[in-house]
Amino acid sequence: MSKIISYVLTALFLIAGVGNLTAQDFDFSKLENEVEEYSVIIDMKIEVSFGIHTTDQTEQYLGTIVTSDGIVIFDGTSLSSDGGLSTMTGFTVKTTPVHIEIRTLDGKTYDGEYIGVDRFTSIGFLKIISDEEKFRPVVFKPDQEYKVGDWLCLYMLLPEFISPPLAADIGMVSALVKSPEEFILTVGFNQLQKTSVLFNSNLEPVGVLGTMMDPTTASTDAGGLLESFGQFGIPLLGVISAETLTELIADPPQKGEVDRGWLGITLQALTKDIAEFWGLDVPGGIIINDIVKNSPADKSGLVIGDIIFEVNGQKIEVDKEEKLPVFQRMISEMGPGASIELAVVRRNDTKIDTLSLLATLKEAPIAAVDSPEYENESLEFKVRNMVFADYMITNLDPEEFEGVVVSKLEMGGLANIGGLRIGDIIQRIGDQDIGSIEDAETAMTDLETTNPEEIIFFIWRNNQTLFVNVKTE
Amino acid sequence: MYRRILFSISILIATSLSLSAEIIQQQEIYKARDKVLPALVHIQPVIKNYNTGELEKQAVIGSGVIFHKDGYVVTNYHVAGKAERIICTLNDKELVPAEYIGGDPLTDVAVIKLQLDGYHGDINIAEFGDSDSLQVGQFVLAMGSPLSLSRSVSAGVISTRDRFFGDNVRLPSGERTGIYNLWIQTDAAINPGNSGGPLVDLNGRVIGINSRATMFANNLGFAIPVNIVKEVTSAILDHGGVIRSWIGVHCQALQEMEQFFKTGRDKGVLVSSIDHGSPAEKSFLKAGDVILEVDGKPVSARFLEELPAFYKTIAEYEPGSEISLKVLRGDQEYTFKVITNQLGDLQGEDFEVSKWDFTVKAITGQMKIDNNLEDTVGVFVAGVKRNGAADTGGMRRGDVIKKINNIEPINLIDFIAAYDNIDVDLNEKILLTVDRNGSTRFILLKLNQTAKENSDE
Repeated sequence: MSKIISYVLTALFLIAGVGNLTAQDFDFSKLENEVEEYSVIIDMKIEVSFGIHTTDQTEQYLGTIVTSDGIVIFDGTSLSSDGGLSTMTGFTVKTTPVHIEIRTLDGKTYDGEYIGVDRFTSIGFLKIISDEEKFRPVVFKPDQEYKVGDWLCLYMLLPEFISPPLAADIGMVSALVKSPEEFILTVGFNQLQKTSVLFNSNLEPVGVLGTMMDPTTASTDAGGLLESFGQFGIPLLGVISAETLTELIADPPQKGEVDRGWLGITLQALTKDIAEFWGLDVPGGIIINDIVKNSPADKSGLVIGDIIFEVNGQKIEVDKEEKLPVFQRMISEMGPGASIELAVVRRNDTKIDTLSLLATLKEAPIAAVDSPEYENESLEFKVRNMVFADYMITNLDPEEFEGVVVSKLEMGGLANIGGLRIGDIIQRIGDQDIGSIEDAETAMTDLETTNPEEIIFFIWRNNQTLFVNVKTE
Repeated sequence: MYRRILFSISILIATSLSLSAEIIQQQEIYKARDKVLPALVHIQPVIKNYNTGELEKQAVIGSGVIFHKDGYVVTNYHVAGKAERIICTLNDKELVPAEYIGGDPLTDVAVIKLQLDGYHGDINIAEFGDSDSLQVGQFVLAMGSPLSLSRSVSAGVISTRDRFFGDNVRLPSGERTGIYNLWIQTDAAINPGNSGGPLVDLNGRVIGINSRATMFANNLGFAIPVNIVKEVTSAILDHGGVIRSWIGVHCQALQEMEQFFKTGRDKGVLVSSIDHGSPAEKSFLKAGDVILEVDGKPVSARFLEELPAFYKTIAEYEPGSEISLKVLRGDQEYTFKVITNQLGDLQGEDFEVSKWDFTVKAITGQMKIDNNLEDTVGVFVAGVKRNGAADTGGMRRGDVIKKINNIEPINLIDFIAAYDNIDVDLNEKILLTVDRNGSTRFILLKLNQTAKENSDE
């Protein structure tokens, strides 16, 4: 017991002591004036939809202007929870900012337009709506070198009712992480400060605070597409570099836009045990489990069972399933159109060949949350086009099977009462075959002109087909 | 004054009437009790469970009733179906071992036979009644061993005669059930342990076999109608089980959709889905067809509760029969010939792969459909032992094993032969190639020291 108390006391002493010592190194009065120029306070109303259930939430963020035409970055974690289709057919979570208000610290107010969130850093992007004004952006200093013990500082947003709104904080570089990804780890900061601009001891902006991503909690949709990384139970915070930021700011991630590179494989890690069993002397690799027809992998000549051990000359050190997302992220971030060279091991019963294959990445298939929807207001339901992940989860053949997926139902609405469920795949409405939301719209519009008492949907659910009778009143 | 006298008389009559009714009822209950209770059996099977990746034996409790003088007892399939050894307690409290004769998961009926060599008491048999002539509200008694409390009698009425739960009800062991029968619902208290026990009318005849109860509800029990039980038990005694025809159609009630499908009221059965590779698919039957006649006999299912009878009509054909189906498709009537297959086993034989820490099942045709598999080649992983060699290697329930090192087992027999031939001492590592949702996966089994020690025993 006394041991614990002494630990706590030591820790308190350390924090207090350290704070006192280094606070003198930062000229906060000068810095504060500068920070106030490019900092904004963002009030955002977000609609969160779980298919049959929708809620609104309001959030306040500290934003930083990063371009003179008013692009602002903020902590987009709560907006990056879009996703789904990992376990259940059709089930998706969708977050939509419905109202954005941006206030500068000198009191001007603007409307904001949402751009998107980067799925790996969770940095959110939005734009100030304004006709002529030029804004003063933060300019990040590149090529910062770090060593353990370097001090960094930032400003954070205090809760709404506290004035003035900003408070300063300091932290220290605590580790230079090399694997599974390179990351400058810090200590002394907290999660609520994510995406705040970090300054070095010369008061130069060198990056923003972010979390080191935990590949073991990465989420993948049913199509095998990496949706996002999770974070460690106790978040490991650190620096998102000026270089990463510059790249993101130059081409901010747009919601719904496909910016991910895609190879078209189902994959497995080459563990040390399997490598040894097959007599391969490599530190890790990717075993190809399946190949999507006509995908870049298919065209490159890869076959099931091949092992990728190098991409563009770089060794793939994936020796555990938990490290797969690091490879997936690499492919994803190379972007569509990227040409890559794969060093591959191909095993036969008798021999082992090493091959070099070329592939050109394609755009990743559209995610379920980004698939366009059609809404029918009288029956109160929404359908979306089928996506790649739907075919993977249902084991249906895209060349033979067409339909639209029920993506939203109003509780107690006619479609809901009639027995449609989220995830049902509608193949026919009345006598009309349905292959897209346009077909669904045409069929519904045609039927509604005849004022039918009921509309019969022919659907696919749980590996069987079924007729669902929806009364129109 | 007159009026008051009349009034009081009428009350008196009413009272005395209900009194005498009560007395009669009580006597009838005694009579019914005396007819069936002596044939009641308390069943303690040890059942084999493979779902955890190893063979686990569990002692369970159920009920049953003797229906044949040679000591045949009817109970539920979910009580005795996977039993290894069965001990029964008869109503005179004597213990008698029993052997499993046969069962039918689709109706949840099983037959066991008492081994009466060492038993010196009298064997009493219960009489089967007629479940087609039951009335809602009719008094019934449930007998059995609720929560293992043997020789218990509870009373109630028939709440509904024609309950249907759809075609996706499953037994604890995973098989589909309740497709070919409706259920008798009763408010006579039924608890776990009542399973397999008789539901009895006041004539002392068995009218159903208690099978299910709704947990966390009051007095919602369900029994299999005895007319189904009679058919199934005699099929089991005659040829070990029920032989059914299968064509692979799933149907749906037509209620409120007659106009859309252009059929009249009480005409036809709507085909909602067709199994891949089934006789129905081969005969070009389609979802949306309305079956009007089966071999010239009109069929209909306007309501859900009429579906089991239709399914049963098909099932009762001898496998391999050619059935002629008159079908309405759009405005046209067509006649299709369908040659039925025999409905195969819902689940394959189990096998414990003890040295490698998982369990497998042989893949049957019905399992292929159920699990959306491409074919029946290989063996199906039924369970993976936690932290065992297979679990560590990344195996999951539902994987289909296609290769052991370089050997490709077609079926369970092949698999067992390959498994037996691998010398664990020489092969500390074994590579399994499995199919998971249409993708290949490699699973390396590292057999540790303990596994080797076990195999040396």
